[in-house]
Amino acid sequence: MLKSFDNKALEELNDSNASENERAKKGLKKRSDFGYAVLFLGPSLLLLGVFVFYPMIKTLYMSLFLTNNFGQTTIFVGLKNYTSLLTSASFLASLSSTFIYVIGVMVLTIVLGLALAVFANQKLKGIQFFRTIFSSTMGVSVSVAAIFFLFVFNPTTGLLNQMAGLLHLPQLNWMTDPNLAMITVIVSTVWMNLGFTFLVLFGALQAVPRSLYDAADIEGASKSYQLFKITIPMISPSLFFVGIVTLIGAFKSFGLIDLMTAGGPNNATNLLVYRIYQDAFLNGNYSQASTESIVLTIIIAVMTIIQFKVLEKRVNY
Amino acid sequence: MNKRLWITSIIGVIVLAVFGVFFSAHSNADQSAQSNQRIKIIFWHEMTGPGADQIQQFADNFNKKQTKYEVVPEYEGSYNQAIQKVLQTHGTNASPALFQSMDVSTGQMRNANITTPVQKFIDEDKYDMDKIMPAARAFYSKDGQQLSMPFNTSQPTLFYNKAVFKKYGVKDLPTDPSYDDIKNAAKEITDKSKGAVKGVTVDAYGWYFEEFMANSGQTLANMDDGHDGFPTKVDFTNQATVNAMNWLQEMNKNGSFISFGSGSTSASNEIASFLSGKLGIMLQSSASMGQLEAAAKPGDLGVTYYPRPNGQKSNGVAIGGASLWISNDKDSATQRGAWEFIKYLMQPENQAQWQKATGYIALNKDSQTEPVLKELYKQHPEAQVPSNQLARTKPNATNSGILMEGLVQMRTITQNAMQQIYAGRNVNDALKDAENQFNSYLAQHNKANGYSNK
Repeated sequence: MLKSFDNKALEELNDSNASENERAKKGLKKRSDFGYAVLFLGPSLLLLGVFVFYPMIKTLYMSLFLTNNFGQTTIFVGLKNYTSLLTSASFLASLSSTFIYVIGVMVLTIVLGLALAVFANQKLKGIQFFRTIFSSTMGVSVSVAAIFFLFVFNPTTGLLNQMAGLLHLPQLNWMTDPNLAMITVIVSTVWMNLGFTFLVLFGALQAVPRSLYDAADIEGASKSYQLFKITIPMISPSLFFVGIVTLIGAFKSFGLIDLMTAGGPNNATNLLVYRIYQDAFLNGNYSQASTESIVLTIIIAVMTIIQFKVLEKRVNY
Repeated sequence: MNKRLWITSIIGVIVLAVFGVFFSAHSNADQSAQSNQRIKIIFWHEMTGPGADQIQQFADNFNKKQTKYEVVPEYEGSYNQAIQKVLQTHGTNASPALFQSMDVSTGQMRNANITTPVQKFIDEDKYDMDKIMPAARAFYSKDGQQLSMPFNTSQPTLFYNKAVFKKYGVKDLPTDPSYDDIKNAAKEITDKSKGAVKGVTVDAYGWYFEEFMANSGQTLANMDDGHDGFPTKVDFTNQATVNAMNWLQEMNKNGSFISFGSGSTSASNEIASFLSGKLGIMLQSSASMGQLEAAAKPGDLGVTYYPRPNGQKSNGVAIGGASLWISNDKDSATQRGAWEFIKYLMQPENQAQWQKATGYIALNKDSQTEPVLKELYKQHPEAQVPSNQLARTKPNATNSGILMEGLVQMRTITQNAMQQIYAGRNVNDALKDAENQFNSYLAQHNKANGYSNK
């Protein structure tokens, strides 16, 4: 953000100085350009250097060592941390649960968000009320949502199991059954994400010209045909945006996991970010945490590139 | 010169000025602290709720009582987080003079050499340590040297809902129940309530895992649970552990056991179910006593000692909780001040008040005759059970804690093993996996820190 702004500013500056520079000697011009570049890029480079590049390089460095209790590097092990991590069954399990979680959250958030947005995009009496309700989860903090869902999913006193009991349905251990815990966490995350997704997609729908639907109606196109041939292509930039934001957000999920399952039961919801936190700040195993961070960075970078390369071609701006 | 350049320069100057003001304000604050006559004792703790309030109260009273020191309690998050903060800030002026650190961090704190053993002050003052409960003392000492002062001390305790027992005509549990006593009662409750009430739960919590071994007199790590040197191997596949895990799995299979998972939320879910009469028996820290007493009807709360293996006398359980450590990176006057505050906290009336406010056990033997506790026991006779369990425990190598590093990691691993066992996995396989996993971690950890027994 900062950097691109500075580049732009620099270009504009160059343009406005063009006539002056023509008169100036060539060497002098180069030197003053460099001065400007340092002046404008300096602050952002300094900040990025201190808060982004240095920690990144340090993380990479630490991942090649063993670290002691104080987080100091002691024994150089080369890529051994990586090989043992990538062959560890529990890490691979974490990795696969992370992917299940991310894909589950992304797909459900977009599908449900779109459904709600399409529904709310009608002219009905009282629709304003529903529009407010649908976007209201944006205002709910993670901790409040976690407590709310803990009440819903509590195995004996929870709302869900109480209702199941009344209807004589089997009562499930939503949070303690390793197979169900993931579903519970995904549902909670989707609920949290829904408000924002709804708002973005609803805003996009409002911008689709009415005339397109009128034309389609006159031609006798069905509603579902209109959805896939008009609505979705027209709002594809917003869908793309929501997709990337949800993807990256899901990879970074921490609050709900920490508050609801703490990575359990039996590591079923021990997603990568949570694992890194546990290894660094609870177990004090900094080299392991650094190794995991590097792996996570690579995964997110690859996923984002794929999304940009593949999906962006299908987006109509 | 270009106009934009001017604007940028002005912004730059403003930013610098703001930084300047910030830093000068900071150094002013330092100066004013120095001009204060009292020596500041920064005290890091990890208590929340009533515990935090009570600590603040103790500090206020201590500060009023004398004029030499000023104790400043600061809350530092969870136990696990606090360990890392203490280690990472040591030697800087951000570090505390006095800190509370959890039971399982004892080995790590000792090896890190960042504290002055309280034994130094005990010797200087000829402080009478016999007044402090022996099992609690033993947990935080090595080779006869007291490393830290036990503070908030709990015991793993079994709680049962007497109202539920009565409703389904089940006999009350004995004070020292065996695995079978519990299994039978849990089955009876589940059967008679047709599954509406679950018999028993045991949190998948590493502490309980360790306590099953302690109560059977089984060492967990070699080198006598670390009391003899750096442990290099753990043993999870011993008969005592297998028996305990088989017992839990059997109750799971016969439908009388319910799992609430692990982590902080599992305990609150469990207590909620217990109090609403949906659960008969649970293991909990004695520190939950206050909360349970406040919520249960008088006489409904049953409390017993920790479960013991069938046909075996209980060896006694290790304590849980945390102790107080004095950092060695502060000058001797500050360290002395920290010790004075520790002594104040250990006074009989303060320990009694601590137990009443929090449910942690009063560690001063004289506290038991304090009016505060006498009154408490009169109203809630069951509140005495954890103290009795602690008082009757004769410390030995297997029930005085494990002086080993990486116990936080170990608990994650044993908790997973417990959850696998609850989900029906073969007990031996689950334990063997956990054992291998932790042993390889331990080998690497010892190597990285340069620990060896030679």
